[in-house]
Amino acid sequence: MEPLISMGVLALMGAAATVAGASEDLESDVGSQSNPNSQVQLAPQMMYPHRIYNKAISGEPPSNALMCAVGGTTATVLMSAYNMSPVFAIAMGALIAALVHGTYSVTAFLGRPTSQKRFKQPVYLDILWSHTPVIMGYSYITTFCILVISYLMVSVLGHPFPLPLIAFIWGITIGAIGSSTGDVHYGAEREFQSVEFGAGLNAANSGNIVRKGESGLRNGFDNSWFCAKFGGPVTGIAFGMVVFLSGWVTTVFDPAKGIAIGWLSVIAGVILVLIMILWNRKIEVAARAAYGPYKEDEVAA
Amino acid sequence: MIDIAGILIDNILYVLLITLGGALISLSVHFVPVGGAPAAMAQATGIGTGTVQLAAGAGLTGLVAAGAVMQVSNSLPLVLAAGAVGAMIMMSVTMIVGTWVYVYGVGCPPASAKVKYDPITKDRQDLYVSQGTEGHGLPTVSYVSGVLGGLFGGLGGSLVYHSLITAGMGPDVVMSNLIGLASVFAVGIFFVNAVIPSYNIGGTIEGFHDPKFKKWPKAVFSSLIATFMCALVAVLAIGGL
Repeated sequence: MEPLISMGVLALMGAAATVAGASEDLESDVGSQSNPNSQVQLAPQMMYPHRIYNKAISGEPPSNALMCAVGGTTATVLMSAYNMSPVFAIAMGALIAALVHGTYSVTAFLGRPTSQKRFKQPVYLDILWSHTPVIMGYSYITTFCILVISYLMVSVLGHPFPLPLIAFIWGITIGAIGSSTGDVHYGAEREFQSVEFGAGLNAANSGNIVRKGESGLRNGFDNSWFCAKFGGPVTGIAFGMVVFLSGWVTTVFDPAKGIAIGWLSVIAGVILVLIMILWNRKIEVAARAAYGPYKEDEVAA
Repeated sequence: MIDIAGILIDNILYVLLITLGGALISLSVHFVPVGGAPAAMAQATGIGTGTVQLAAGAGLTGLVAAGAVMQVSNSLPLVLAAGAVGAMIMMSVTMIVGTWVYVYGVGCPPASAKVKYDPITKDRQDLYVSQGTEGHGLPTVSYVSGVLGGLFGGLGGSLVYHSLITAGMGPDVVMSNLIGLASVFAVGIFFVNAVIPSYNIGGTIEGFHDPKFKKWPKAVFSSLIATFMCALVAVLAIGGL
């Protein structure tokens, strides 16, 4: 294929991945999924009942992988068995995935707070009615973008894996990235804004999540509003970078043109990794200088 | 009638290579610095997600890269290297963005609670651990360890995939069926071997400098046995196509 067309397709995939990453993280913030939800789950047991949507269907990667695999399978069936256009098939696949995800969200939400009745945690039905469509909306965007990436990989770039499997793998990857990056902003910062900025969560504060919002009592929307300023976009950048960079090395240095060029793609990838190691080191040094140590050196003191 | 013994004898080399790939995946998981739920609250060093999830995310990204390269090249070293690079890129990107969030979003410097000095940079660690936590973020040693985890995970995953495809190659095989079956088996074998080490890790590990890392031979031995069984089933299923 023409290198320029490949680069264009790759850029489109990177853009779709960036949107998917951001919506994936915001879906897990508005519905409170993944690791930070352990604090939302713990709060009523520590006598802090709250109005935050509490679902955590499963870990984020399996949950997103399920969504994307359902969407991918539906889209493939519509395209191959009914000869529907890819755009329609992908949109329908994403819709069905969002419905499945919404069903799981409702059962998870109804299951979790009801199990905490003994801690006097109410089940707020208005939270269920208002948040579930938003969760489904975010999951629709995520699945749609992942299906676009998978479709482009299979049909344009000629990837040999079947579309549902690629969608499944990107679902696992996006979930792993979302729970590794954006969720830290939700768990370590947003849930504990009442404690001083610039430290990890002291174990003594576990479960004492902030329950008052900018106006009224805090709910999942407030968390998604806050995380949309940093956690969501950086998750998008992370997933966009993974999709773009992992494809970029083999698009620029196409292994189909010869084994030597294939090895150049490996070298390019290793150089990218080395740059990121150095970048991490620079941030580490800058952070240590800016924030300083938390305690005095006993020997020096 | 499928000649089970014949298929196994013909493909015994691939069974062994798949087993080796599984052991590599198992080893790789020990390198990945994960802090589980505590790390998501900046309460433990490492990435704030589960062991299996991150290792699988990285390894499977490598598998996608390896699958793409194997489509156009038969060279085993190149396919392995492509898988390893794909997984390393995924790990590096995830960790660098994780560092952004820890440093700019949460405001805490990367620090390890398991060692007093970073084995690579020789930086003091204990003074930078905030009160009531077991460290936070990704100090250089954890970052490098994570990249090594991606390297071994990607190598292992692509070795499994390459072996399955080569074992199934034949004049009558429909390529799309073979690739579909081989990739699903590769993903399954990856998950089996990502789960086994998590019993060693117990939720959190900082990388190769963590005392828990020394337990890796037990997990690798268990993985050898488990993957050998998986390899027998996979080669039989694919060889019988």
